Amino acid sequence: MNDAVSRKAILDELADAVVKMDEERAVKAAHAAIKQGVDPYLAITEGLSAGMREVSRLYDAGTYFIPEILVCSDAMYAAVAVLKPHIKTRPKNKPTKIILGVVEGDVHDIGKNIVKIMLDAAGFDVEDLGRDVASARFIEAARRAGQGIIGLSTLMSTTMPSMGKTITALKEAGLRQSFRVIVGGGPTNAAFAREIGADGHGTNAKEAVDLAESLARRIS
Amino acid sequence: MSPRERFEAFLTGKTIDRFLCVPLILNHAARVMGVKIGDYNRNGRLMGDCHAAAWKRYRHDLIAIFSDTAILAEAMGTRLKFRADDVPTIDIPAVTDPSDRSRLTRPSMGSARLPVHLEAIRTAVAEVGDQVPVSCCFSAPFTTAACLRGPDQFARDLIKRRELAHELLRLALEVGKQFTDAVADSGGIPVIVDPVATGSVLGENQFREFALPYLKEQMAHIVRRGFPAVLHICGKTSRILQPMLETGSAVLSLDDISMDEARERVSDKAVLMGNVRPVATLLQGTPSDVENEVRDLCAIGRRCKAGFILGSGCEVPIASPPANVEAMMNAVRTYGSMN
Repeated sequence: MNDAVSRKAILDELADAVVKMDEERAVKAAHAAIKQGVDPYLAITEGLSAGMREVSRLYDAGTYFIPEILVCSDAMYAAVAVLKPHIKTRPKNKPTKIILGVVEGDVHDIGKNIVKIMLDAAGFDVEDLGRDVASARFIEAARRAGQGIIGLSTLMSTTMPSMGKTITALKEAGLRQSFRVIVGGGPTNAAFAREIGADGHGTNAKEAVDLAESLARRIS
Repeated sequence: MSPRERFEAFLTGKTIDRFLCVPLILNHAARVMGVKIGDYNRNGRLMGDCHAAAWKRYRHDLIAIFSDTAILAEAMGTRLKFRADDVPTIDIPAVTDPSDRSRLTRPSMGSARLPVHLEAIRTAVAEVGDQVPVSCCFSAPFTTAACLRGPDQFARDLIKRRELAHELLRLALEVGKQFTDAVADSGGIPVIVDPVATGSVLGENQFREFALPYLKEQMAHIVRRGFPAVLHICGKTSRILQPMLETGSAVLSLDDISMDEARERVSDKAVLMGNVRPVATLLQGTPSDVENEVRDLCAIGRRCKAGFILGSGCEVPIASPPANVEAMMNAVRTYGSMN
């Protein structure tokens, strides 16, 4: 088997293991990639991420649902953990940083987790602050990152005002110009996003990724 | 007609003056009395007082005692994080590791905050029960099991640990039936909510395997106790509307779906309830936005064969302006005639 053929077979195996929700196979394929000298960065972007793109397509088609996405992503992350230590060269274009979190007072985070999975798969450098995140923690993370995108999520209408608070805090810290802010989650909508001065709103993970990609192009 | 007369006439198929109007005034009741949510949800007397006060202000057709969707799971061992002025959320699920399931027991009705809710029912019934029926909303087995395991983990269990999922669901069903009896014995009408088993999370087949069989048994138990079976599922429900009907519910309370679509598909078999938009309209809209939406819903309601109840799609957001809730009640008085 020549190199190109075996490389293609390994990338396909990585993608298929993710789509089939098979964590064990994904990890095995990741080890095979290292052993065969496949570029680990390529193994992630063209193997695992290609699998997650197919998962996303199956979700849009109404074949997969939230439980499947979570289990597919477990396979993806397990294989990423094998591959990541072997990445030597950074990709030419530094990926855009995205700071994600569920705002203060809201510990529902399935939606945010799905968005994180899809942004990871799309190649963003995602920092997940988790749930119940106070404005101050978003600001700290923003200072460290310097520039990028901040994604605020909530499932509860009671915590929606916290989103506006975080944007105000970002302004007060002099960081608003360096970040695009996107919001999402059950009770939010585009009108609300405009009202609190956010740069965009996504109703689902796919929209969040599209929005992040279009905003990333506008970050110098 | 008083809300109680209207409600009873509706149940027995008699003519009523207008559509029943049930905005899901849950935690918002605390706001009416200026009480903090963290005080409201741990004090049964206060919770009952808040609902009686909210009813005196709005005169809605059904009181709905409720704090959060985790009260049964909490009684079974899930630890919640309480907040001064917001609803509690899951802190540590009871079954973090699958082996923890052996430690789960069937709780007594005196566990955790179950007695708070039962006392709230008795309090509201004592204060205003002669004029308005008092219900208590609590979680269906699927949502309780999700709270026992953590929703993300439970979603994974549906694929990776189906046995465990069914075991937790069976246990949650038993506790749900027990609580149904306790609610009924306290003078309350049991109302089932299943917000995690929503079409926003599950596909129809998953709903059929993991939510439907347990909902059927839960609803049958409610019917055996002599109550109409009322099921509320929020989020997107288009995909699960047919199996929702198969739960045996007499009333389907719907959220993010076109009411006209629901009317076309199932209104010959179940009473439909809903679905003034909670955030866009009740929280962020103006009284005239509320009025317009109610008028449109009532027009659809008149074409629902088995009946219609005007409701909010989901819980009336805590911070909704009271003027918007009043607008909803006023609008149903204006536009809610049934023919």
